[in-house]
Amino acid sequence: MPRPSLIAILALCLFAWSLPAPAAAQSQTPLQDVLQGVQEQVARPSRAQVGAVLEALQAADAPGTASFLNRWAAREVYERPEDGLFFYGREGPDRSLTLIDIDTDAEVAEVTTRDVNQIRVNAGVRREIEASLVTFELLATDRDRRIGALRTIARSPEPDHIPALETALAEEEDGAVATRMARVLDLLNARFASDSATRVAAIEGLSGDITTEARRVLNQILSTESQFATEIPEGTNVARIRTPGEDLDLIDAYARLAEAGLVPPRPGRNAIRDALRANVSDGEVAGIPVHRLNTEEARREAYRALQEQGTVPPLPTQAEMDEAVGHFVFFDVYEEPDTAVTDAARDALDSTRTAIGLWQFLSLSLDALSLASIFFLAAIGLAITFGVMRVINMAHGEFIMMGAYTGFVVQTLIPNYTTSLIVALPMAFLVTFAAGVALERTVIRHLYTRPLETLLATFGISIALQQLAKNIFGTQARPLTSPDWLAGSLALNDIVSVSTIRVAIFVMALAFLLALVLILNRTRLGLEVRAVTQNPGMAASMGINPDRINMLTFGLGSGIAGVAGVSIGLVAQVTSEMGANYIVQSFMTVVVGGVGSVFGTLAGATLIGALQKGIEWFNPGNTLAAQTFMVLFIILFIQFRPKGIVALKGRAAGD
Amino acid sequence: MEMSRTTAAPVKRRRLFQNNPSVLWFMGQLGLFTLGVTILSEGFGIGVISTNLVKILGMTLCLCLIAIAMDVVWGYCGILSLGHFAFFGLGGYAIGMWLMYARTEIVIRESLAGGTIPPTEREVSEAVASQIFSVVGSNELPLIWTFAGSLPFQLAMVVLVPGLLALIFGWLAFRSRVTGVYLSILTQAMTLALSLYLFQNDTGLRGNNGLSGLQNIPGFLHVPQSVISVWFFWASAFALGAGYLLFAWVVSGKFGSVIRAIRDNEARVRFLGYNVEGYKLFVFTLTAVISGIAGALYYPQAGIINPSEIAPIASIYLAVWVAIGGRGRLYGAVIGAASVSLLSSWLTGGGAPNIDLGFYRIIWTDWWLVMLGLGFVLITLFFPKGIGGLFDYLVRKQ
Repeated sequence: MPRPSLIAILALCLFAWSLPAPAAAQSQTPLQDVLQGVQEQVARPSRAQVGAVLEALQAADAPGTASFLNRWAAREVYERPEDGLFFYGREGPDRSLTLIDIDTDAEVAEVTTRDVNQIRVNAGVRREIEASLVTFELLATDRDRRIGALRTIARSPEPDHIPALETALAEEEDGAVATRMARVLDLLNARFASDSATRVAAIEGLSGDITTEARRVLNQILSTESQFATEIPEGTNVARIRTPGEDLDLIDAYARLAEAGLVPPRPGRNAIRDALRANVSDGEVAGIPVHRLNTEEARREAYRALQEQGTVPPLPTQAEMDEAVGHFVFFDVYEEPDTAVTDAARDALDSTRTAIGLWQFLSLSLDALSLASIFFLAAIGLAITFGVMRVINMAHGEFIMMGAYTGFVVQTLIPNYTTSLIVALPMAFLVTFAAGVALERTVIRHLYTRPLETLLATFGISIALQQLAKNIFGTQARPLTSPDWLAGSLALNDIVSVSTIRVAIFVMALAFLLALVLILNRTRLGLEVRAVTQNPGMAASMGINPDRINMLTFGLGSGIAGVAGVSIGLVAQVTSEMGANYIVQSFMTVVVGGVGSVFGTLAGATLIGALQKGIEWFNPGNTLAAQTFMVLFIILFIQFRPKGIVALKGRAAGD
Repeated sequence: MEMSRTTAAPVKRRRLFQNNPSVLWFMGQLGLFTLGVTILSEGFGIGVISTNLVKILGMTLCLCLIAIAMDVVWGYCGILSLGHFAFFGLGGYAIGMWLMYARTEIVIRESLAGGTIPPTEREVSEAVASQIFSVVGSNELPLIWTFAGSLPFQLAMVVLVPGLLALIFGWLAFRSRVTGVYLSILTQAMTLALSLYLFQNDTGLRGNNGLSGLQNIPGFLHVPQSVISVWFFWASAFALGAGYLLFAWVVSGKFGSVIRAIRDNEARVRFLGYNVEGYKLFVFTLTAVISGIAGALYYPQAGIINPSEIAPIASIYLAVWVAIGGRGRLYGAVIGAASVSLLSSWLTGGGAPNIDLGFYRIIWTDWWLVMLGLGFVLITLFFPKGIGGLFDYLVRKQ
């Protein structure tokens, strides 16, 4: 990966190319000179005259103008009476003041506040300056500054920005920037334009726009408020009429009337209880003995008895509440009075929702793909040891963990993240390959005829390795940091974005798939592996050493687990238990996909990844529920396709 | 199960004991052990054994009970279930719901009784709900807690929930002929799904907080724990004895022969005309029910149950106990479960002295699992019959 050196060369070229640039900048008129040209207006700013200053600044476009405007408005600019020059001032203790040169930022002199005039800018002028600041940025020659200004406006839109934007849009020459300007102008017009036609046109322009700013503007226009009245007043922009008993709770409706003081409040359960408590006399309430008041009915009965005596406020009956509520209409009303605007906004939002739905589906598919590649990476080694060799290796997860810790150790030795990653991948393969070969030689080869006992023995290895890792590395999670060029994310728009590391893992999974398919189908080793797994006796008589092949195959599967561990460690935390988190899922991936087939594992991983994300879509934010339902689905799936998605047929199926 | 044995003719019982001399021997040992612990306990005897140790011993007996259930399903019937701890946990949750609800209700009623007018049922249940569920940010009683106040109902659940789950799961799995390691992985997936489900806060069983305070028995809140612990010890010993008898009876005789034959060659048994799936389903469900009962006795002694108890690892440990003890013999499962779980709690509880080698200090809490794992590998490789195999060896030598 020649990335850093490439960047270095590029940087050098850029540097050489940009050398003449400072010289060009120096030929511009310094800001001080521009300001001296309108000295009087700057020193004593008024609303009538500030325009001239701003125009002059705009025309000269000296460096540091934006900063000057900001500090001018913030009253940080001082005039030296002797020569009329302007300085920025930094206040020190005891009225001392450091004068700073406007152009060079150098400290010029140490004076007191009495020696210089602070330029006092009033509120009206400040508003002018701030508006002009936006215009200034919008008209800047630098494209990035114009885009930055647009972003600021979109984030906090103000009605004042409209004229500035219109001016800028008229002068904009860059097509892309002009499009963005038009969109931001739509955002502003939709909310702040004075006439209904402009607003409707602007809203229609926002239709299908999935950015959060556009959606926020539309939702703001459509915000509603619940009201009630005897009849709906003329000219109200009604969003929805609510019918008590159907889409509005009767008791809530009554409570709202009571809140407005139109009906006496209805005592709730607690109020009834308190009223009864207050009226206990001689062990009974209104003739009903206290010990009988342990049901709701008895309490209401006692309360009504009290009500007849007139000691408590009345408890309205169902009929009374119905009648009181029946006098009123309950409705939601748009805060925006203009029907045309709200209708347009509703339509726009509907079409936006469709667009969002499509984009979210795409985003979900990408998530599912990324999850599937992680499952695939975790399971691919198992596809060899379990799928091809039929060895149940419960320590597979610990090989993943071992690979990840190898990555961590390499990273502590080599500080450069890119180099350490490049070293870590083969290192992890070697370490886990060796561990796999050792495990096969010492334990597994004695148990080829007893698969259930392989499961138990490798489980013993698994708990021993887990505890060993805990003893060596401690219980806290160790970070495996990815290099900077993998740290960012690729954003297509506000909804769809994928982190680079997940793309890398996807690519890695693809590479693994290809490599494995090549090894199994196109190499001598692959041929021998298939021969030994299909018929060891026959393979042996053809001159293949089954012991050696089993050892190599198991080592290969374990080594792949190690490399997968490094990649998984980049997205998840490296802990001694990380392998255990993947083991059950990996086995299910292999079983669902179809034992004995690499493509089956791919299919299994894709299915499980898609399923988990799909379930999360229906039940957002609940990963646990998604996992639960996924496991249930797998249990059911195996009922109907016990051999998995890709079921081997003929001799390759073994049994 | 008690009934079925007493109604059995004395002839049959004689044959059972004749076939299995170890049953009588085991019963004698269990009786002596129970008597010994009672005499040495704080609650009923001279107080040599602390209440805490009595609880640990009682819990160990429950683990022995689920271990013999595991032995029957695996060692005798050949189904390596990696999900029996799910049934154990479900039994614990079923009884835990009653313990927690009833105790909270008593406390709430006491505190509400001070008011001028008596509380309504709704007020009580709302107060109980907010007391129990405030920890998961809810104050409503979930639907599954509707009958949590009823002891008979929850006792029925101890048996029914694991039994039904095993029945449905087993029916689905055996019907489609899922066998061997596939079945093991599937059972593991089942217990994983269940523990993930229980980890959620909105499933009505308090998420990862689990159920707690189970050692306080409603109605006996003023009886000291030293006495209650012995009661539970007795109950556990009785359950283990009854379970041992039941399983000894199940695995002897013709039924036992059939399930052993299924273990050794399933296809042949099927060709002989036996309904293999039915036998397997019966064994799977029966052992699940016994596991549920074991769990219902275990968790009141442990005092707390949470979803991590039924994580896949627990069921694998169960298989480890049985394998170390020696599968295919009931006393082997008891020896394995008792020795490994007691050794484990002794070594990880800080009871064992650390060994200083000069250049390295062996801390048992760190190295116990490594030892257990490697020891387990050695046993699988060289002593597939486990500790129980030693008895065979000794008997043959004589």
